Amino acid sequence: MADAEEGAEAAVSKATFDQGLMRWREERKVTKRDRIGMGWRPELAAGIVENLDKIDVIEVIADDFFGARKSKLEGLRFLAEQAQVVLHGVGMGLASAALVEERRLAQMAKLVERVRPEGWSEHLAFVRGGGVEIGHLAAPPRTAATVEGAARNIRRAREVVGTAPEVENIATLVEPPGDWPEWEWVHRTIAASGAGLLLDLHNLYANAMNHGYDAVAALRAIPAECFETIHIAGGKLIPATDGRDRLLDDHLHDVPDPVYALLEAATSRAMRPLTVILERDGRYPAMGELLEQIAAARAAVRRGRARAEMLGESTSRMGEVAA
Amino acid sequence: MSAQALEGFLARIYADAGARAKFRANPRAEAQRAGLNEAEYAAMARMDWTELELAARSFAKKRAGKQKSWWKRVREWMRRKSA
Repeated sequence: MADAEEGAEAAVSKATFDQGLMRWREERKVTKRDRIGMGWRPELAAGIVENLDKIDVIEVIADDFFGARKSKLEGLRFLAEQAQVVLHGVGMGLASAALVEERRLAQMAKLVERVRPEGWSEHLAFVRGGGVEIGHLAAPPRTAATVEGAARNIRRAREVVGTAPEVENIATLVEPPGDWPEWEWVHRTIAASGAGLLLDLHNLYANAMNHGYDAVAALRAIPAECFETIHIAGGKLIPATDGRDRLLDDHLHDVPDPVYALLEAATSRAMRPLTVILERDGRYPAMGELLEQIAAARAAVRRGRARAEMLGESTSRMGEVAA
Repeated sequence: MSAQALEGFLARIYADAGARAKFRANPRAEAQRAGLNEAEYAAMARMDWTELELAARSFAKKRAGKQKSWWKRVREWMRRKSA
């Protein structure tokens, strides 16, 4: 009798295990091709480590580790051994007619050598000029000189660091002087440098809203082969003296629905597996809320892939009909 | 006129309230003083002042935050040293 009970119990737990495994495989199916992760911040460290089963990749701000103590660097290297880690720079100022500082490239090279991340990225921004530190990522003049300068700086970064950075479109509250609108300048810079694009969807969304262009149309104009790494984040509306609020990309708020919609649209055209990173820089909610945003991003990616499959099927059916 | 001069001028306009005020009061003279040519002056003059002030405020906040975190690091270092 006891043997029979034990047998039944074992059968039930085996079935439960198999069901769980199937569900887990189903949930993770998207990550065979696409990965959803988040930015590493000291305030989130414990929550991230506890939830590594739900976070496929971790993006670490490289500048926080330049000149760091040995123990801090060892900690980062240990993290990179346990999880997929990418490095993200914020201070190089690649998008400039001026030469990027060798000191900063050397710092990145040293960190990459030590941590051995999957890859690294920087912004298409200038952060200093004429001896003045702007203090944050600023939009450079959109001219041939900054296209050439950025391309030269990116090539130099590749030489020093050993691999080329992916370069990120920035959010800007002001349209800088120049010859081209934002995305034409970005496309020219990407083409001239040969670098990959790190597409920040909230930056695109905020710039579109603030400067009066259509985010969906701008996304559609980006070549599909550019979609590989994507940032998502949130911001807030701030009042302006002309009576028209502007969207500030502050990374202090939840990802808004239009950004998930842009993510779905980008995924539906993506030709390669995507890495999507949720960025949050303060006013941290409970970890559960951030995990919900990761889950929402995963769902958007899944919808995008499904949409692509449907379109592919309908296209091939149309082909069959035509044949 | 070098592209770097335009970047330097733009950086000052982004980061320095005094430079912004001077440029707003006398744009052509300030642009000439910075070595900008006519086309660069015209491009700078077309910038939206409302947006520029918003961006400048945002940059100033970021600089203040970095200053604060620099002092925080110094205080932590001193605390470790004295412990």
